[in-house]
Amino acid sequence: MRHGGVTKFSSQNLFGPIIIISALTFFVGRTSASLQLITQFTLCYFMMVLALQVFVGNSGVLSFGHGSFALIGSYISGMLTAPINIKGHALAMNQLWQALVPLHTNIYLALLISAIVSALFAALTGSLLMRLSGLSAGIATFALLGVTYNVFFNNKRIGPGSQALPAVPTISNTYILLLLAVLAIIIVYLFNISHTGRTLRATREDAMAAPALGINIYKVRLIAFTLSGFLAGLSGGMYVHVAGTFQVQDYYLEFTFLTLSMLIVGGSASLWGALLGTIVISAIGQLLLMMEQDLPIFGIHVHIPLGSRAVIIAVAFVAMLLWRSSGIVNGKEFAIPAFWRK
Amino acid sequence: MALLEVSNLVAGYGKVQVISDVSFSLEPGKSIGIVGPNGVGKSTLLLTIAGAISPKAGSIKLDSTNIFGMRPEDIVRLGLSLVPEGRQIFSGLTVKENLSLGLTGRRDKKGSHEAVARMHELFPVLSTHEHHQAGMLSGGQQQQLAIARALISDPKVLLLDEPSLGLAPTVIADVFERLREIIQMGTAVVIVEQRANLVTSFADETIVIRDGKIQSRLTPADASNSDSLNRSYFGAGD
Amino acid sequence: MIQSILDAISLGGLYSLAALGLGLVFGVMRLVNFAHGELITIAAYTLVLTTQFPLLLSLVLTICVTAFVALIMEFAIYRRLRGVNPAIMLVASFGLSTVLQRIYEFTFGALPKSAVVAPSLSGVVKFSGLSITISSLITIVLAVVILLAMGYLVERTSLGLQLRAASADFRTARLLGVRSNRLISSAFVLSGVLASFVAFILVIQNPVVNPYYGLNITILALVGIVIGGISSLRGAALGGFIVGVILSGLNTVLGNGRVYSYTWLFITVLIILLVRPGGLLSKGSELERV
Repeated sequence: MRHGGVTKFSSQNLFGPIIIISALTFFVGRTSASLQLITQFTLCYFMMVLALQVFVGNSGVLSFGHGSFALIGSYISGMLTAPINIKGHALAMNQLWQALVPLHTNIYLALLISAIVSALFAALTGSLLMRLSGLSAGIATFALLGVTYNVFFNNKRIGPGSQALPAVPTISNTYILLLLAVLAIIIVYLFNISHTGRTLRATREDAMAAPALGINIYKVRLIAFTLSGFLAGLSGGMYVHVAGTFQVQDYYLEFTFLTLSMLIVGGSASLWGALLGTIVISAIGQLLLMMEQDLPIFGIHVHIPLGSRAVIIAVAFVAMLLWRSSGIVNGKEFAIPAFWRK
Repeated sequence: MALLEVSNLVAGYGKVQVISDVSFSLEPGKSIGIVGPNGVGKSTLLLTIAGAISPKAGSIKLDSTNIFGMRPEDIVRLGLSLVPEGRQIFSGLTVKENLSLGLTGRRDKKGSHEAVARMHELFPVLSTHEHHQAGMLSGGQQQQLAIARALISDPKVLLLDEPSLGLAPTVIADVFERLREIIQMGTAVVIVEQRANLVTSFADETIVIRDGKIQSRLTPADASNSDSLNRSYFGAGD
Repeated sequence: MIQSILDAISLGGLYSLAALGLGLVFGVMRLVNFAHGELITIAAYTLVLTTQFPLLLSLVLTICVTAFVALIMEFAIYRRLRGVNPAIMLVASFGLSTVLQRIYEFTFGALPKSAVVAPSLSGVVKFSGLSITISSLITIVLAVVILLAMGYLVERTSLGLQLRAASADFRTARLLGVRSNRLISSAFVLSGVLASFVAFILVIQNPVVNPYYGLNITILALVGIVIGGISSLRGAALGGFIVGVILSGLNTVLGNGRVYSYTWLFITVLIILLVRPGGLLSKGSELERV
């Protein structure tokens, strides 16, 4: 049973997730350098999951195409910040595109620009795609991902093609990424409780009744899609500045499936679901990784065979869906458990 | 023992409870009408009895067999068929194919040929349009096909959901004439209808449902008494 | 030139079979079985690992194994997901697909398995000055035979009638007595059989089997059923055929630019979906039954 979602501002719904993500970033990041890096990547994934929540969660329309926005965001941010001589090597000799090489700016401006360009791209593609629903939308957005990936993978004139673009400057301070994530949480929350957000959710529940209520389904979906494109582009930008290199393959099928799973396992109907899903899947993945390398728990060495981690994650995912198809949080936003509130 | 015995039935979708307490019993060769305001849950009631929707509480017995919670494909084989609202014929399939599908639920597969012949007799339109696509028939013809399709499985109880929907008055009269023949041949019938007058004068007993419960029970005598009809529909002093 | 046309038709036939396999399950369950690719993969593994047996035995064994895996999929996973939101089902099938890929990796190893299957079927036949690959001919013949057989099954048997009815309106079909569990299991078994034949055709030309063998063709088959028209089996077969022909045509026409054939294919798909959201065989702006 899907819930309509929150309709009025509630501080625990908003600050709960903010506090939790901040606390986790602080504590986990301190334990070790490798966990620090994992945390950074997780924040990037979370940004994407938020992007998906804004669109998929509110509209009920599945999109496999968001990887293309992340790809574009990451490409632009990477290209704008990579050292000029590296870029010159990465792009094939071609006068038009070589003009791009000297364009250079700092990381933060690059992130903003890449998010905006992604949003524009989303608005453009969305203007065509938002007429579709259900499976057609899923396939069409998948086709979008396919086209974007195929073009960037094979075209050495606009980008590095199948090679990686190295030496992209990194953001070493995790708290900057955290700040971006928190800002995104606030934006997503405000959108979800806004009139547009509520209207969009109404179309999710009953697409046939909506026009009778004077709702322009196309318009509200397009708005959400554009916002979602902005956040997805931002997630790509963040990712390239954590990875330090731009690779087209990073934003394709595995990325798409991973982020969609995070959203669905947590529960696509709410912000809290998006966060919880990201945390759960990242945590389980990390735990299993450590178990592959022999993890001591209370003195017992737990070891799982190499390669089984991937099987276990996939099995757990399917099992999770069988158990609770609407996600762990079942559509609810964050709330302090009743007995604590007293 | 009644042929169909529904007791304190609670039914609905998910968390929504549409029917909160309905009871009635049906004897062989008898008919019951069910009326009530739009959206009150009459279709839900029939779909639940036929097994398409899981019942929440209460009991449903067909010829002393407990069918509560059974799957629709099993209930059909025990002798209860539903003609759904809107007829729901398979418009892409031919008339003959639609009818053959009805045979799937027959207990006695050997009598299939005779059953088909009987349906053709009862509803000649089936012969004339045998190989036409069912979607090309008129509303009245589709209704006949839908009834034949449900009837061909030889049910003891036939449920009909708004058989008059979208049909012209002369056609409706025709359909109800055939229903009378079916009842005379021994099948017990439950008819859900929007047109209260129509079914109240037709059925042996008519129950009025309001707010998920039975409001009142009417007899054909009440059909001509518009006062009591209105009262039961809209409630006294509302 | 003739070879190109034959290639296009044979690829179309192959994808048509793949799409039909997906379409059967989609019709009765409104489920897009991403894991269909894994059925193709296990069939391919079986074929490649049983080359010491006579071809016919190998094929029969493959069909049995694949159908069995398909039944397990249905019983263990999909049965519990009936009636759930289609988006969830889609993602779950993606998850199942990943699970199976990992299991294959675990069982067979990440390195590919390879063996020559039916060596008599690779190679060319010479024909009034032209040289035509036997495999393309075999593919076309096999595809035609199977499509005709499926057509017969769907149009003229009682099982086929029940499948068509259930695809149109599952609830009413059940109200008439169609046994849902049996029907859905039948659909899965049939899809497994089709997957076996798809694998057979693939393995003749490419006997190098890895855990991701069936992934590519499944994605394209999925594209095929959507553009052909998700609400009918004929649409599925047609859509698959079109995807195959277009892809083959693009590969031929584009020459060096053939790396972009997927781009053009997907653009075509987008155009088709925007003009006819329900697929080519649908009636224009048919409201999605998903």
